[in-house]
Amino acid sequence: MITMRGRQGSGNPARSRGAGVGAGRWVRADLRARRGEAFLTVLAVAGIVAALIVGATLLEDGTNPWRGLSARGHSAHVWIHTKDTPDVAALKALDGVSELAGPYRTAPATLADHGRKVPMALQEMSAALPAVGRPLLVDGRWLDPGHPEGVVVERTFANALNLRPGSPFTAVGLNGATHTLFVSGLAESGDQGFYPEWTPGLVWTLPETLMTVEPAPGRTESVTGLRLRDPDDTDLVVQRAVTTLGGQVQRVATWREVRASMALDNRLLGLLLALFGGVGLVAAALALANATGGRVLMQRRDLATLKSIGFTSRQITRMLMAEHVSLGVVGIVVGLIAGRTVAMVSGVPLSMGALLWIAAGTLLVVVVAVWLPAWRGGRTPPIPAATVGPPRGHLSRIARLALLVRLPPALVLGARDAFTRRVPALVTTVGLAVPMMMITIGLGCWATLDDFAKNPAKVGQAAALTVRAGDLTSDEARRRAEADPDVVVAYPGAELDALVPWQTRTVRTRALGTSADPYPFPVVEGRMFHERGEAVAGQGLLDLLNVRIGDRVRMTIGGTPLIVRIVGRVVEPEQDGEVLSFGTDSLAAKDSVPPQFYALVLRNGADPGQVRARLQGQALEVTQAVNPADRLSVIRVIIVALVVVLALIGLGNLLTASALSLRDHVRDLAVLKAMGLTPRQVAATLVTATGLLVAAGVLCGAAAGAVLSTGLIDLEGRGSGVGAGIGRAPTLAMLTVAVLVAIGSGLLVALIPARGAARAQVGVTRAV
Amino acid sequence: MQSGAVVRTVNLVKIYQTGGLPVPAVRGVDLEVADGEFVAIMGPSGSGKSTLIHMIGGLDTRTSGEIWLDGQRADTLSESGWAVLRREKVGFVFQFFNLVATMTVADNVELPALLGGASARQARERREYLLGELGLTERAEAAPAQLSGGEQQRVALARALANQPRLLLADEPTGNLDSRNGRDVLRLLRDIHEKGQTIIVVTHDAKVAGMADRVVMLLDGQIVDDGRSVRRTSSKRPGGAGDVIELRG
Amino acid sequence: MRLHLLALLAKEPAHGYELKQALELTFGSAYPSPNIGQIYVTLGRLEKDGLIRAVDVEQSNRPNKKVYYLTAAGREALDAWVDEPTEGPRVRDEFFMKLILAPLTGIADRMTLINRQRRHYLGLMRDLTDLTEATDPANRPAMLLIEGAMLHLQADLDWLERCQEDLTP
Repeated sequence: MITMRGRQGSGNPARSRGAGVGAGRWVRADLRARRGEAFLTVLAVAGIVAALIVGATLLEDGTNPWRGLSARGHSAHVWIHTKDTPDVAALKALDGVSELAGPYRTAPATLADHGRKVPMALQEMSAALPAVGRPLLVDGRWLDPGHPEGVVVERTFANALNLRPGSPFTAVGLNGATHTLFVSGLAESGDQGFYPEWTPGLVWTLPETLMTVEPAPGRTESVTGLRLRDPDDTDLVVQRAVTTLGGQVQRVATWREVRASMALDNRLLGLLLALFGGVGLVAAALALANATGGRVLMQRRDLATLKSIGFTSRQITRMLMAEHVSLGVVGIVVGLIAGRTVAMVSGVPLSMGALLWIAAGTLLVVVVAVWLPAWRGGRTPPIPAATVGPPRGHLSRIARLALLVRLPPALVLGARDAFTRRVPALVTTVGLAVPMMMITIGLGCWATLDDFAKNPAKVGQAAALTVRAGDLTSDEARRRAEADPDVVVAYPGAELDALVPWQTRTVRTRALGTSADPYPFPVVEGRMFHERGEAVAGQGLLDLLNVRIGDRVRMTIGGTPLIVRIVGRVVEPEQDGEVLSFGTDSLAAKDSVPPQFYALVLRNGADPGQVRARLQGQALEVTQAVNPADRLSVIRVIIVALVVVLALIGLGNLLTASALSLRDHVRDLAVLKAMGLTPRQVAATLVTATGLLVAAGVLCGAAAGAVLSTGLIDLEGRGSGVGAGIGRAPTLAMLTVAVLVAIGSGLLVALIPARGAARAQVGVTRAV
Repeated sequence: MQSGAVVRTVNLVKIYQTGGLPVPAVRGVDLEVADGEFVAIMGPSGSGKSTLIHMIGGLDTRTSGEIWLDGQRADTLSESGWAVLRREKVGFVFQFFNLVATMTVADNVELPALLGGASARQARERREYLLGELGLTERAEAAPAQLSGGEQQRVALARALANQPRLLLADEPTGNLDSRNGRDVLRLLRDIHEKGQTIIVVTHDAKVAGMADRVVMLLDGQIVDDGRSVRRTSSKRPGGAGDVIELRG
Repeated sequence: MRLHLLALLAKEPAHGYELKQALELTFGSAYPSPNIGQIYVTLGRLEKDGLIRAVDVEQSNRPNKKVYYLTAAGREALDAWVDEPTEGPRVRDEFFMKLILAPLTGIADRMTLINRQRRHYLGLMRDLTDLTEATDPANRPAMLLIEGAMLHLQADLDWLERCQEDLTP
C-alpha cells in the first residue's frame, strides 16, 4: 500500500491548491454537462452588454453627432468673436490652450434665394484645410483659388435651403451689392451648430471672396478658435480669455453650446436611456440570479456530496461564484466585441472609458446577482440523502371548503400550490413584476411622447410656423401672414442671446407676444407673466442661475441690462431648458422693434406644410417647428427594443420557475393522476398554480409602473432641464392590452412544460 | 493518542425540531469503537441509526453529548472544522452511491485526495492503486451512469478510502444493490477490514451484520444490545451446502 | 427420498448405483451424501408399494443387477407430488414459544432472549456467507439453496426486530 502519510505535513497552501484543482474539475465537468444552459447564460450577458453599448453609441452619436464631428475635425472648444483681430500670442499663451484656429474674418450677409432673403455668416478660410477646426467635406469640392466664386456651405444650412454643389449662390452684402457665386461643396463641422437651431447659417469662402462681398472692415468680425487640452477647463479658459482681451469680446461660444444645438433634448434622452439601461441591468441581474439559483438548487445533491467529502461552505461558495462569474465574464467579452462591431456600423465608436464603465457595471451586476445563490449553495447541508424534496402543502380549510362547493379541483389544487410554497412563489412573482413594471414605465414614456405629438402646445409649440420678414417690412410680413385663412394669431418675437454677468456663457432669451397678450407658454408652476418685467423660465435656466420662482435675474443683452422677475416655470424642451421667456415689451426697443420673427398659431386641423408653402409663395421666409416628439423618435425604437428584452427576461424567469416547480411537483403529479385526474386536468392544475403567480406578478408590476411612470418621467424631465410636468402614465387601453398580453404569454409559457409533464409516465415509486 | 479508540461518543443526543413538536432521534448513546473493529449498527427504521452515523461523521450536528474522533474532541467543531476533519479521518459510503454524475470515475476517486492537499500526480497514483485493488481499472474514464449499481458502490468505496481514513462509515451500503452486487461489496468490506480498517456500518442486511465483529442494536434512539456475534463453528468445516442446511421433504 | 428416486426413474430406468450417481451429479454438494444402503431400502419399499418394478439383467462375471422401471402407479404418484403445492415453512416456532413463555415463568428476560437469538442467527449468517465463498459458482442448485437459507434467516431477523419493537414499552 502506498503510504501517503508524508503529505499530511504539506500545510495549508498545498491543501488550498489541491482543493482548487478539485473544484476546478467539478466546475469543468458541470459546465460540460450543461453546455446549452451555460451558452444561454453567456448569450444573455453578451446581449445585455452589446445592447448597452449600442444604446450608448446611439445616444452619443445618433442624437449627438457633435462628438464624431469634433473628433474628426479637431474642433476648437471655444470660439471668441471680437471686433478686430485679437492678440493671438496672448491667447495661445493662455493656460490650458493647446492650439489655435484662425483668427478668421467673418461677415454677415444675406442669401437671396427664390425671392426671399436668408441671413447668413460668411467666414474666410484658406484653400488648405487647417489642422484645428477643420470642416469635413461631405459633397463636392473644397475652396479652390482657381475658382474664387466657389463657396462651401455648411450641410444643415444647405439642406434647409435645398442647396447642392453647383447650385447658384447669390450673396447680397450689407451695402446692397449682389454677388453671383456658386456652391462648390458642402461640409459639416463640429464648430458650428445645426441650422436652424444655430443661426445664422455658415458659409466658407476664400478670403478675397469675403473681401469682395464685404469690403468694409468695420462690418466684419474676427473669430478665433481655441482648442483646449482638457475640455472641462472651458469655463476657466473663457474667463481668462475675456479678461485678457478686455472689451474686445463680442461673443463667446463654447463646444457645449454647439453640442447642445446639435442635439436638442439630449439630456432628456440621455437620462431616459440611462434609466432604461440601469433597469435593464437590474432585470438582467434578477434573471441571472434566478437562473443561477435554479441551477444551484438542481445541484444540491452534488453539493451535499462534496461537503460530505470535506469541502467547506466557503470553498463551495467560491467554486460556484467562480463558475457563474466566469460565464458572465465570457459573456461580457463577447458582448463588448459584438457591441463594438455593431456600433462601428452606425457611427463613431464609444470612448474606451465608456466601454470600461459598461463592462465594469455589468461585471458588478453579475457578481451581485450570482453571490446570493452561490452563498446559499455553500450552506447546503452535507447529507446528500436529506435533500429529498420540498415541504408539502396541506389542504387548508379554505381549500376544503372550495372543494365542497364543487369548484373544479384543478382550480383549487392549483391555487393551493401557489400559496403554500411562499418563498418560491414570491420569487416568481417578483421576477415577473419587475420587468412588467419597467415595461409599463416604457409605455408611459410612449404615452408622454404621444402627448407631445398630439398637444404641441404642452411643450411650448403652440405655434407651428415661424415667419421671418426677409425682404419685406415686418408689418407687411405680419399682414400677409395674418391674411392666410389658416392662421389664427401671429405673435411678434425675438430670440436673443443674453450674457449673465458671472456666467461665462450666453443664455437664450425669448420674447414672444406682449406682456398683455402673451404667447401661450405651457406654464406648469407659478403663473404666466402679466406685466413688463415679469418672465417665465425653463427648469434648466432655474438650475443654471440657481434661482427660484419669485427671484429677480439680471442679464445683459447686447450691452443693455435686462432685469426681470421670474413668476413661473414652463416646460422648455429647447436648449436643455435654459431659456427665459417674456413679452417683447420687456425688451429694450432696439432689440424688439422690429420683431425678428412672427410665431404663427394655426387653426385646429390645418396642415402646417400647406400653410408654409402658401406663405413662402408670398415671399415670406417660413420655418416649421420640429416637435420634440419627432426629435425624440429614436426613443420609440429603444422603448420597443427594451420591451422585447424585458419581456424575454420575464419569460426566462418564468421558465426557470416553472421548471423548478415542475420538479417539485413530480410526486404530486403522480398522486394526482392516481387520484383520477385526466392529463388535461393535471395540466390545468399545474398551469393554474403558475398562472395565478403570473397574474399576481403582472398586475403588481403594471400597477407599480403606472404609479411610478409619471413621477419617474417628471424626475427625468426635471433632471434634464426640460422641467417636470411632462410625465404621463400609459393610457388605460394600453395598460389593459399590455397586461392581457403578458398574462397570456406567461400562461402559454407555463402550459408547454405542464402538458409535457402531464402526459409523461411518472412512476410514483421512483426514488428521487 | 488514546488507547486505540477511534470513535467514542458520550451520552450523544439528537432532537429534531420540526414545526412545533421536538422529535428525539438519538437518546443518549455511548459507543466506543476500537482500532480495526468492524461494527454493524442495526435497528428498525426510525431507530436513529442513520442519525447516529451522520453525527459521528459530522454530517449532522448533535444536540448534546460528546463525540471523540481519534482522541480529538469533535462535537465542538464548526462546520468548516468538521469538513477538514472529515477530509483527513473519515470516509463515507452512502446507500445511493452519491457519485458526482458529471465527473468521470477517476475524477470522483481523486477528489478527496486533491482536497487533502495531494498533487495531481499523487492523486492519480492513489486512484490507480485503489481502482486496481477494487477491480475497476478499465472503468476509470467512464461516467458513473454507465456503471452498474455494484460498480458504482465500489467506486464510492474507493473514493471513501482515497485519503486512508481512520474510520470508514457506511450507511446501508448494500441497500440499493441486488444480491450478487451486494455480495461483491460485502467481500470488499471484509478485505479492507482484514487489512486493518476500522468500519462502522449501518445496515438491516443480515449478511453485512453477520460479517461484523460486533453488532450494536439500536431501538428508539437507544442501544439495547452491543456485543460480539457468536460463531457456530470457529473452524471451517469442509462440507457442502447440503450438510449445513437441512432439506425437508 | 422416495419421490426423488421416482423422479429420476421417470427420466430413464436405472439400477441402484446409477441412481446414487445421478443424485450426486444433479445436486452436487446440495444433497447430503446419499448412502447406497438407504437407496436400496427405499427402492425395495417403492417396489412393494407397486410404484416401480424391477427387472433382472444378466451380467457376466457378476451377480445379476436389478434395473428399476417406473410403473403407471408410480407415474401417477409422481404427478400428484409435483402438482400439489409444498407445505410452507414452520408455523410453530420454538423460539417464539420461549419468548412468550419466558417472562411468565420468570426463566429469562425477553430482551436478553431476543439479543441472544439474534447473535446466533448472525453467526449462522456468517457461516452461510463463508459457505457461499467456498462453493463453486457453477453449482447453481447449491447456490440457490444457500441463498434461500439466507433469505429465511433475514426474514427471521426482521421478525426478531419486530418482536423487540413490539414487546418493549
